[in-house]
Amino acid sequence: MENEIKWNDSGFTPEGADGKNGKNSDQRSWSDIRKKTLTVIVKIFVYAIISFGAFLLVFPYVWMLLSSFKTGDEVALTFTFLPDKWVFTNYSELFKSENFPIFRALLNTVLIEVSVIIVGTFVSAMAAFSFAKLKLRFKTFWLLFLMSGMMVPYAALMLPQYRAFFALHMTNTLWPLILPGFFGNVSMIFFLVQYMRGIPNAYFEAAKIDGANNFTCFIRIMFPLIKTAIAAQVIFWFVGIWNDYFAPSLYLTDRKQMTLQVLLGLLNAGTSAKDLPMALAGAVLSSIPMLVIYISCQKYFIESLAISGVKG
Amino acid sequence: MEKVENAVAEERMNSLPRKPKRKRSKVERRENLTAFLFILLPVIGFLIFTGISICFTFVFSFQDYYVRRDESKFVGFKHYISLFQGMATPGMMGNTFIRSVGNTLFLMLSLPVSIMLGLCVAAILRLGDVKGSKIYQILYYLPAVSSAVALNIVWRYIFQSNGLLNRIFGAETPWLTDGTLVKLAIIIKNSLNAMGGAMILYLAGMLNVPKELYEASSLDGANKLRQFFSITLPMITPVTFYLLITGLIGALQSYADTEVFAKGYPGSETIVYFIWNERTDGAAGYGIASCTSILLAIAIMSVTLIQFKFSNKWVYEE
Repeated sequence: MENEIKWNDSGFTPEGADGKNGKNSDQRSWSDIRKKTLTVIVKIFVYAIISFGAFLLVFPYVWMLLSSFKTGDEVALTFTFLPDKWVFTNYSELFKSENFPIFRALLNTVLIEVSVIIVGTFVSAMAAFSFAKLKLRFKTFWLLFLMSGMMVPYAALMLPQYRAFFALHMTNTLWPLILPGFFGNVSMIFFLVQYMRGIPNAYFEAAKIDGANNFTCFIRIMFPLIKTAIAAQVIFWFVGIWNDYFAPSLYLTDRKQMTLQVLLGLLNAGTSAKDLPMALAGAVLSSIPMLVIYISCQKYFIESLAISGVKG
Repeated sequence: MEKVENAVAEERMNSLPRKPKRKRSKVERRENLTAFLFILLPVIGFLIFTGISICFTFVFSFQDYYVRRDESKFVGFKHYISLFQGMATPGMMGNTFIRSVGNTLFLMLSLPVSIMLGLCVAAILRLGDVKGSKIYQILYYLPAVSSAVALNIVWRYIFQSNGLLNRIFGAETPWLTDGTLVKLAIIIKNSLNAMGGAMILYLAGMLNVPKELYEASSLDGANKLRQFFSITLPMITPVTFYLLITGLIGALQSYADTEVFAKGYPGSETIVYFIWNERTDGAAGYGIASCTSILLAIAIMSVTLIQFKFSNKWVYEE
């Protein structure tokens, strides 16, 4: 192997080869050069394809950002890549607009996020602790029982739920979106159970000898140990709630109660081509927090997606 | 005295192993109770928001519902029959139902496309020894974390009659106002946006293929391309299977594409869109919507069960 490589190296400079094999080495060096140019061409080709794909995917974002600085006429009537004149009125109008109370929508979204995630995470982690570390009878049954909910589509549940929330006068409030979250999140429970099983029982046995009960064990010992696992799950959940459109769009029809995504959908539905830049400005604003989270936590996203998929 | 003492000692001996046992069972019962209290909230949540809800959907599917009077009337299998009759003889309602089912199935074409694209990108990143592979991964996965609404607004802007695509090619293709083209537009959009997820799963799957296989085959003189087709590809079938199933489940529930991207244009309506809009269509509408919900739930549950059943067989584990 090594000989061959050395020989090939010298093949690039025929002068370096010894006289006897001159002709031979010349031929070989030619095939070598051809091989090398071929790999270079393949490399260029590879980078070209892959960069083109990346360009296709990133372009809509760039386009969205640039167009949000154009005037309505420019977007509707002409075709430009960069704005002719950079205007910021789309943003300022969006902030001032009575019809599209975007700050209210932001507040609503954050309200849902905070209440659901704080209560839901606590409830989920507690349930996961019970599944992983406590002596629960019919443990497998209960876990499967909860997990069976994962395969029922929301579409099959929304009609009665809507009717129930309507009867409780809760449509056009945030309750239909907050209440279900208070009861925990099954995929989070499942993930945390697997994580907690890896934590040695000795911690809890020692604490119990010192007189700690299960709840103290959970709060004082388990919770600090699983902080990172919880953080990863919370990020996912946060992004999921932020981007959720279907359920909020069913329950929230009053502009003052809408979440960011629903308001954005309305902004899109209501606008003519001339008002499009404002919708785009809204899209930019609602994407910024997610982009920041994604780029700063991309390791979590890519790794946990990979884990979930490979393990089936 | 001795006897008594012996008896006492015997009793003690007997009771010694027994007493802690009884005590332990009491402790056990208490622990069982606390353990159950810990999972109580999720169980209640499941019962209310999934269990009872789906039972009600099931009941509603046999009823007519008069919204104004808030009354329900039992009508038996009428709605199911009318759904299936609609299939045989297209009436008004049957037409929309069949069309929405057809649309949903047609839109699934983006699944194989995005999976193929994802596989190609993953293969290129892996075989091509690309520098900065991480950056490409981040860029390709970007659409998956973006909101469907924001993405749909931009893509609508790209596809609309005076949009980017038509300007570039100088055409006037009615992407959003033609029944077939609107579906094609959605397929193109979804294929591009879903390929990142497929790519990452494939890359992870490729890392899991045991190295010995490659070593052995390279001793036999197989080149990289040959190795890819005869080792990598068969070894990552579980990933393909997983992508197909999860994609299928997601596609069956698609809604935002119709509502935001196509603004409810008839050629683009999906099953879930049909359910939500049929609901207000007279007294029978609510029942028909419930019927469709139940059928959709059955379809999705069977797909999920197939996945559970096969995932053990398909997934390669060391």
